[in-house]
Amino acid sequence: MGNVKLALFLAYKSIIKGNRWALTLIILVMSLSFANLLLTPSILSGVTNTLDEQQVNTLYANIVIDPSEDKYYLDRSSLIEEKVEHIPGIVGVSAHLDTSACIEYEWLEKESSSDKGKGGTWSIVGIDPLREVNVTTIHEHIIQGSYLDPGDRDEIVLGVEVAGGDRAETASFLTLQGAQVGDKVRLTYPNGVQREYHVKGIFQAREMTRADRLAFVTRKEMASVLGRTIFTDRASQILVRIEQPGEENRFIKEFEALGIDGEIRSWREYGGATSGIVSSFDVIASLINSIGLVVAAVVMFIVIYINVINKKRQIGILRAIGIKRNVVLCSYLIQALFYAAFGVIFGGLVFGYGIQPYFALHPLTLPIGLVSFAVKPATIQIAVLGLLLAAAFAGFIPVLSITRQSIIKAIWGN
Amino acid sequence: MIKVKNLRKVYGHGLTATQALRGVDIEVKPGEFVAVMGRSGSGKSTLLHMLGLLDIPTDGEILIENRNVLRLSDGKKANFRLEKLGYVFQEYSLLPEMTVLENVYVPALCLGKENSHKKRAAELLETVGLGERLNHYPNEVSGGEQQRAAIARALINQPKILFADEPTANLDFASAKLILELFRKLNRELGQTIVMVTHEPEDEKYVDRVIWLKDGLVEQWSTPLPISKVGISN
Repeated sequence: MGNVKLALFLAYKSIIKGNRWALTLIILVMSLSFANLLLTPSILSGVTNTLDEQQVNTLYANIVIDPSEDKYYLDRSSLIEEKVEHIPGIVGVSAHLDTSACIEYEWLEKESSSDKGKGGTWSIVGIDPLREVNVTTIHEHIIQGSYLDPGDRDEIVLGVEVAGGDRAETASFLTLQGAQVGDKVRLTYPNGVQREYHVKGIFQAREMTRADRLAFVTRKEMASVLGRTIFTDRASQILVRIEQPGEENRFIKEFEALGIDGEIRSWREYGGATSGIVSSFDVIASLINSIGLVVAAVVMFIVIYINVINKKRQIGILRAIGIKRNVVLCSYLIQALFYAAFGVIFGGLVFGYGIQPYFALHPLTLPIGLVSFAVKPATIQIAVLGLLLAAAFAGFIPVLSITRQSIIKAIWGN
Repeated sequence: MIKVKNLRKVYGHGLTATQALRGVDIEVKPGEFVAVMGRSGSGKSTLLHMLGLLDIPTDGEILIENRNVLRLSDGKKANFRLEKLGYVFQEYSLLPEMTVLENVYVPALCLGKENSHKKRAAELLETVGLGERLNHYPNEVSGGEQQRAAIARALINQPKILFADEPTANLDFASAKLILELFRKLNRELGQTIVMVTHEPEDEKYVDRVIWLKDGLVEQWSTPLPISKVGISN
């Protein structure tokens, strides 16, 4: 029998006939260590996923078609919409006609012309409500009133950070200070056109996205403001929703092949400040993971060390009867890897079939939104590798130290 | 077979240093059954540990079959122990996680004797009277039976020399007698060279020669009465 076979035999006997409580405790510690290695990165991944989803759902969809660098608008937008929506895998296409406007609330109550009143300047997005519901989820976040209908002309839907009030996070003076559904607001567009609208609905996506600082009117209304004859078939940008997130680049290539005159980008290129947050989370996750790994290694070292120290006499006897040092080392290394492997299996099962499904059904309610745990394959790979290495280290070092001392001292237990 | 020259062993350093062996010179011939005796602290166990390559002397030479074994590397010492030496400890030294049979054949696994080791281990256990205990675990047999199993384990690789460190110290009279008779039988019938440390004066009658140690030095050696004259049964 080769040395490896003998080491396997010794490890097998030690595990099978060893102390059941010690075995259970070691595997429990390994399982918890492994689950811990997955937990923090998963929460942070969950947070970044939520932020990403919010950007996709409320601001950019999956793909954004912008005008070429030398143009302000996409011409013949209906043709582009038609071309794109016929590609298999496209869920929805919606053209936006954007501008900014000064919005005023309770303007009649201003005491003088120098009184700033309740107002400010925000982005106004002209949308086709029927198309928009296939692309963004703003309509699902209405907290008061209702969403726009295709025929609406003097109706506006405000983000909660525009309307203001108790639910807004923005300082009151930077909002309309509590505009309600049914109230009137007055918009003054950059071209001088001034119109009054009824607030039809107020929506609240989530605090981390910029969507709550937008206001929506119908695209027909926006075209009439900007100039009906020119703007009816123009768009500031076109948002495209795809069936399988992650395939953006493939669709972008297909769009380019259609000869669309515009800049076509994935939503990720618009990440802006959020991408910085995501990067920061990645760094934090790496740091926490490193510390978690060190803690796991130390805990495993202590548990395995105690186990090995209790077997010091047996190690001495094995060497005394002629078993080579490397066979003894290999045997304890196999045991440590066995503990780690079972820790990975049990910890993985607990996480994969317990913790993760639970939080998928009951997400954490954080200020940025609902967060469930998301495990990246790389996180699992790092955790498995880290745990195996830590276990190997923890199993190897104490046995190495015991096998280096004189056999007789090991037998005496010194 | 064994030649020991000026063997010294010092434990500790400086003022706390203790000289366990202070220049021991002994010789053991092939087929001899030698007892090392002396008072507690005389250095007899230390000497056996050095001979069995379980500890390293401070100075001196140990030649076994004309090889200076102290010059061997750790790996070669392990091989030498495995192939040439058998060792029986004072305390029960079976591995608790293995059956009596497995305990006996483990050293044979290192030599790759895969096909024959189980059969030979069973035969040895039969020889030491444990034929019915092959699949028992150490905690399921008596102290005397454990010691007999340890002897079988020491013999599994057919060693040139069998070392026994007070093998009967923890046994009752009947079990101790059984062990000593077993040693005697192995020595007489198989020509097994045995070096045994003991502090029991009555063990003297089983051996060919006694080496007396006192304060880490050989005090004298003696040849006991022939075995026939002390009435030991076979």
